[in-house]
Amino acid sequence: METIREYFKSPWRVLVYIILILSAFLWLVPVITGLITSLRTYDEILINGFISWPETITFENFKTAWDRGGLSRYLPNSFIITLPSIVLTMFLSSLAAYALARFKFPANRVIFFTFVGGMMLPFQVLLLPVFKLTDFLGLYDTYWGLIFFHTAFQLGFCTFMLRNYMRTVPGEIIEAARIDGCSEIGIWWKIMLPLTLPAIAAIATLEFTWIFNDYLWAIVLTSNDALKPVTAGLATLQGQFVTDWPVIVAGALIGTLPTLLVFLFLQRYFIEGLTLGSSK
Amino acid sequence: MSRTKRDIIPYLFLVIPVLIYIIWVIAPMFYTFYLSLTNWNGLTTPEFIGFKNYTKLFNDKVFYISLINNLKWLGVFITVPVALGLGLAMMLNTAIPGEKFFKMTFYMPMVLAMVVSGLIWGWMYHPKGGLINTVIVSAGVMAKGPGWLSDRDIVLWSIIIVAIWRQVGYVMVLYLAGLKSINPQLLEAATVDGANRWQVFWGIILPLLTPVTVIVLVISVIDSLRAFDLVSVMTRGGPANASSVLANFMYIESFNNYKMGYGAAIAVILFLISLSFIALYLWRVMQDEMEY
Amino acid sequence: MNLKKMQIVFGLVLVLSLILSACTPETVTVVEEVEVPVEVEVEVPVEKEVFVEKQTVIYNSMNGDPDPRAADEEIVKRFMEANPDTEVIHSIVAHEDFKTAIRAYLTASTPPDVLTWFAGNRARFFIDNDQIMDISDVWESEGWNESYPKGFQAMSTVDGAQYFLPTSWYWWAVYYRVSVFEELGLEVPETWDEFLAVNETLKENGYTPIAIGTKYRWTAAAWFDYLNMRINGPQFHIDLMLGKESYDDPRVAEVFKYWRVLLDNGYFLEDAAAYSWSEALEPFIAGEAAMYLMGDFIRDSLPDEVEADLDFFRFPIIDPSMPIGEDAPTDGYFLSANAANPEAAKAFLAYLGSVEVQTYNAETLGRLPTNSGVDRSLFTESQQKGMELIDGADFVAQFYDRDTTPEMADEGMNAFMAFWDDPDSIETLLADLEAARQEIFLEE
Repeated sequence: METIREYFKSPWRVLVYIILILSAFLWLVPVITGLITSLRTYDEILINGFISWPETITFENFKTAWDRGGLSRYLPNSFIITLPSIVLTMFLSSLAAYALARFKFPANRVIFFTFVGGMMLPFQVLLLPVFKLTDFLGLYDTYWGLIFFHTAFQLGFCTFMLRNYMRTVPGEIIEAARIDGCSEIGIWWKIMLPLTLPAIAAIATLEFTWIFNDYLWAIVLTSNDALKPVTAGLATLQGQFVTDWPVIVAGALIGTLPTLLVFLFLQRYFIEGLTLGSSK
Repeated sequence: MSRTKRDIIPYLFLVIPVLIYIIWVIAPMFYTFYLSLTNWNGLTTPEFIGFKNYTKLFNDKVFYISLINNLKWLGVFITVPVALGLGLAMMLNTAIPGEKFFKMTFYMPMVLAMVVSGLIWGWMYHPKGGLINTVIVSAGVMAKGPGWLSDRDIVLWSIIIVAIWRQVGYVMVLYLAGLKSINPQLLEAATVDGANRWQVFWGIILPLLTPVTVIVLVISVIDSLRAFDLVSVMTRGGPANASSVLANFMYIESFNNYKMGYGAAIAVILFLISLSFIALYLWRVMQDEMEY
Repeated sequence: MNLKKMQIVFGLVLVLSLILSACTPETVTVVEEVEVPVEVEVEVPVEKEVFVEKQTVIYNSMNGDPDPRAADEEIVKRFMEANPDTEVIHSIVAHEDFKTAIRAYLTASTPPDVLTWFAGNRARFFIDNDQIMDISDVWESEGWNESYPKGFQAMSTVDGAQYFLPTSWYWWAVYYRVSVFEELGLEVPETWDEFLAVNETLKENGYTPIAIGTKYRWTAAAWFDYLNMRINGPQFHIDLMLGKESYDDPRVAEVFKYWRVLLDNGYFLEDAAAYSWSEALEPFIAGEAAMYLMGDFIRDSLPDEVEADLDFFRFPIIDPSMPIGEDAPTDGYFLSANAANPEAAKAFLAYLGSVEVQTYNAETLGRLPTNSGVDRSLFTESQQKGMELIDGADFVAQFYDRDTTPEMADEGMNAFMAFWDDPDSIETLLADLEAARQEIFLEE
């Protein structure tokens, strides 16, 4: 308590604090609105308007989304697609990043710029060819079709971030290892990876939210309901004829929970990791 | 280790990632270039028609609407969220009661799927019952709140506000990270030397944050050019194309109207625009590389 | 660099991906088995023994809404109970996404066998591109040539062969709140003038006369369909849809003059573009808006107490000398041309077209069946009235975006929205539409 009083001694700090509280409130309003909505019935909202005192509070919407909306099936799929994608991307991009960060060779810049260029790509550009490719490889309508695409596409960003991070590792450490006779793959595995772990954790967190929240590719590369991730599943809740918003919002909240938890869990890594990743 | 063997090593590290990247990203991109020169409905074989799609595109009103909307989006995105994010990061950089809560709050929108954000904001913007207009009307600001998503002059900005809501937390996290890496002794020294807060910020902190700013700007550019989900969920580019952006325009032409060749041409233009921005950035990176 | 090494790695990646794809769920294995149809007893040493004796049918449908979805699942369940040797792998895809993804489905190396789709131009496109299987033999063997009315048969036929199975249809009409009409002593309008008078009375009494949500645009297309058919007759309308008439025809301009009267007088719900069609139900349900031009699926989204207060009337007559056209979209099924297991797929299709299934759909969803074998005495009062509405029509259209090409529909609906926002711009809009029409229909 004493420290808090101490903290607010300066009027400037009080002002900052008021600004923060106000902005935080503004930021939370939409989510609170969503939460309240998910606890009400559609009929009641339609009759009384969105902003009205709830007559009934119900968890029925969550149950409907989970059972009838099939979220119980879609949610595991999201993990089956997201986790391998992240592992593969992080593995491959750390390989590429290491080569790009620590070696001088003629094609270095070209390859690096290709990765960076690709990461900027508006990915809608790839929609048709990737569909054809996936089908050609026999991966259409499988988890692996999505996993491979996510892995490949995220390579650009991850390589870029990791390469920048790896450049900050002091060269002496690596030189010392080389002199000790450590092989390059050994340096990568025993020195680079452990040192980049915070960055990897951070980028993986980001990637988790991105891949988990993907919707476009999920609907293009799969058609079987049994394989769909939660985003695509949510969309089937929302049809042309009936739009039961409370159920959709409830489903959306369920679908958001994993990314939220992952973020909470890895928040420390996240912030620490980006420290160096973002400052060359 | 022999000289030649040493030369091969980086390629060994690169071969699998680069191959996968080529197969899934680079080659498809070139295929899209090719498709943009064809007339293709997605079922039959693409028919080569030269630059017809492009001539048509440059005479298409919707193309210009979308292009200008993208540029507006980009202009806002590299300023507003960057400033807000930096401001919040500055405020939250000191130990402050409830620090964790604030950070979480601002980061949260980023974790939500775009589809979810678009949906929730659609409610907020609801012309009559929506929270925003309810507040406006009951506070007596206006007799009738604006049609956030139905007024052609406002709709794009309404969507951009949602995008900003998402983006600020991201920028904030990046700047916070950058701020943590600044040596506090440096700032103390400056304060001791008599510099005020403002001078410390402009003279020391901001220059030191330049690398972070570069990353933030790059991410902002990417995100503004990729803008799709929010538009798609909230308005589908409407009313009457007023909120159309290139990615959405491309998607509708390709998949709603089955003009895949035409859609590919839009995609190529979108790519070229991205490229011109990234060229700037790459040039900067190159400058740094020279020192390295 | 070392080319050989590169090849090896490339090979590895490919092999890896093949191995990996082999361990994904049953479907993959199932699809491969399908190539040996009917021979039920043959023992094939396949990893997934569960399905060895079964034939499979992959069925993708777009019935994502709760009620139709439940009905759809129930039908699949019943079919599998009756045909234990067939496994139906059923995927439900959201309506809008389904429309987008269907080309991917059809061109994939393992396309779904059975798909839901719309009758009319949207099916014709796929038929012309050889994506849809000729199912004349099913029509023949199931006796559908006799049990389906000629109109539905014609709808499914291209060059003498049947490609489509229409299973249900619904009508469009002006739905209204009976209580509001009673309160103001309003009669159901039959002519345009009466309709305008009703609107005026409603507005004077503080009601929003007409609810509409144009976020997805097609609700506005319904107004165009009806005004055009009422003013210029269904023949002109359908010719316009087929690209045979031009959009800069003064008759088209006439349509927008009528439309504009409603807009200028503020009869439509304000900020319509902000709402999806179902969000625009809110004022209708709350009793603030009185009328809604909509398909009969409007019922699916209304609370029971509102449904009890609901009735509908024919879109008012404008030019009595014109034949009466109505929108009555038909939905149904087709088999993809490359279906892996045509026999099983046809058996499932036959079931979907049967009296049993259509009766079930009519009872649970209130859709109108296409098979005349369905007992009409089961129909509700409203279904009877809807059928009378269509029986009284001289011409039945599908709907704007089903009667014309997808591209033209997109251009048209954008123009409707631009007109809605700025009615003065109609001249330019029609000129643009005409340019689009020439380009689109010239290409074909």
